[in-house]
Amino acid sequence: MAEKLRRVLSPGKAAGPGEKNAAEVGPPLLLLGGPGSGKTALLFAVALEAAGDGRGPVLFLTRRPLQSLPCRTPAALDPLRLQKIRFQYPPSTHELLQFLCSAHETPGPVPSLLLLDGLEEYLAEDLGPQEAAYLAALLLDTAAHFGHRVGPGQDCGLIVALQTQEEGDSGDALHLSLLQRYFPAQCWLQFDTPGAGQCCRRACLEPGGQGPRAEWLMAFQPDGEMTVTPWPTQADDPNSNKCSSSGGQP
Amino acid sequence: MTYEEASSLPSACAMTHVGITAPRPALGYGWNTTRMSECCFAVLSEASTFCRAMAGTLSAATLPAVVEELLSEMEAAVRESARSTGRRECVAALWVVDLALPVRKARVPDEHLLSLKFVFGSSAIQALDLVDRQSITLISSPSGRRVYQVLGSSGKTYTCLASCHYCSCPAFAFSVLRKSDSLLCKHLLAVYLSQVMRTCQQLSVSDKQLTDILLMEKKQEA
Repeated sequence: MAEKLRRVLSPGKAAGPGEKNAAEVGPPLLLLGGPGSGKTALLFAVALEAAGDGRGPVLFLTRRPLQSLPCRTPAALDPLRLQKIRFQYPPSTHELLQFLCSAHETPGPVPSLLLLDGLEEYLAEDLGPQEAAYLAALLLDTAAHFGHRVGPGQDCGLIVALQTQEEGDSGDALHLSLLQRYFPAQCWLQFDTPGAGQCCRRACLEPGGQGPRAEWLMAFQPDGEMTVTPWPTQADDPNSNKCSSSGGQP
Repeated sequence: MTYEEASSLPSACAMTHVGITAPRPALGYGWNTTRMSECCFAVLSEASTFCRAMAGTLSAATLPAVVEELLSEMEAAVRESARSTGRRECVAALWVVDLALPVRKARVPDEHLLSLKFVFGSSAIQALDLVDRQSITLISSPSGRRVYQVLGSSGKTYTCLASCHYCSCPAFAFSVLRKSDSLLCKHLLAVYLSQVMRTCQQLSVSDKQLTDILLMEKKQEA
């Protein structure tokens, strides 16, 4: 399941279940969805998967500390994996920019994956298009720098989660189109059927020209476990109980 | 070569993408440069339409395949002329009208210059001018992180990021981001050309100074 999730978000890999091409991480990806659609849970699952890879640590940037672990799989409870995820909580856009601009100064092992959750909270600080573009460009530049530091041919992955509104207003649309220029690959998380499918999300991956469009069904079990299956095969019947992983999502 | 054939170019370009991690890949198929020169003569005035069509279909973070191939060919030509004993004179009649002296110094075949003008319009001339004036500086620090600074014609210095398309000039914000009118601003094009032609100033700074340079951009916009 977790491997499939990683391959979901690494469209550059065309490997079978047994192979893993560690150098191919694919283009930077933008994870989009409304509130409560499972972006944080998905990001965290990718972080866990990458932490178990044996490459560098994973940098997880978010504005507010996670209140609870989004998914309670056995991998999530592995302390070695959790140790490899470095959380940073830049409280404002200025702090985030400061962190990205000084990323080359920090000593220690070079991260192999850079994750940013809640980009909309930083963009909401009244950023003009040029400043928003600069933030996106800095994210890309930081990931590229990490990739170069690791070695030739190595890449640092970059996934950014952005919350979109159900009814898009013009400000959001402008930021979104701008970000789409910098992030060629996008993954949309939508509620499958409103109401009945509270625990099911539909993930549509558009790799930005490097692969076919693909869709998955994400189901959250009552115990917080997240399962990913290819669309349109249905997973186990979604329970009507309250989804316990919703507490950790923005 | 008819206009119809030339206007089919954008849709073909939209089919290929270039990954951001490999800025100059070897392309399996591409455009014959001679054909491009023919296109130039036929539809030179339609450059902005071409740009708009291409910019609309492709992302700004990656260069369209035709531009990548053009830059690769220019790079190969520069390497070739560096190896050969004499300098290749390259003057095209069309260019003499626009800007005579700097072009003669460039060791780039004229058909590439024509293709540049076709794709980028007047930005190409301004970008070549910037390259000739040695206005591009590559700033690097011991960490290996790099950033470009371009001294614009107005005397202001603009910062361009090496790994993705970003320039702090107002033209970038307006033409590229907002209106999708151009693929690149002249400063970014000058950066790419200086990479191809291997002429730019180099500056080494400390890690801390590089952080300040990157942060300064944010402060300038505020």
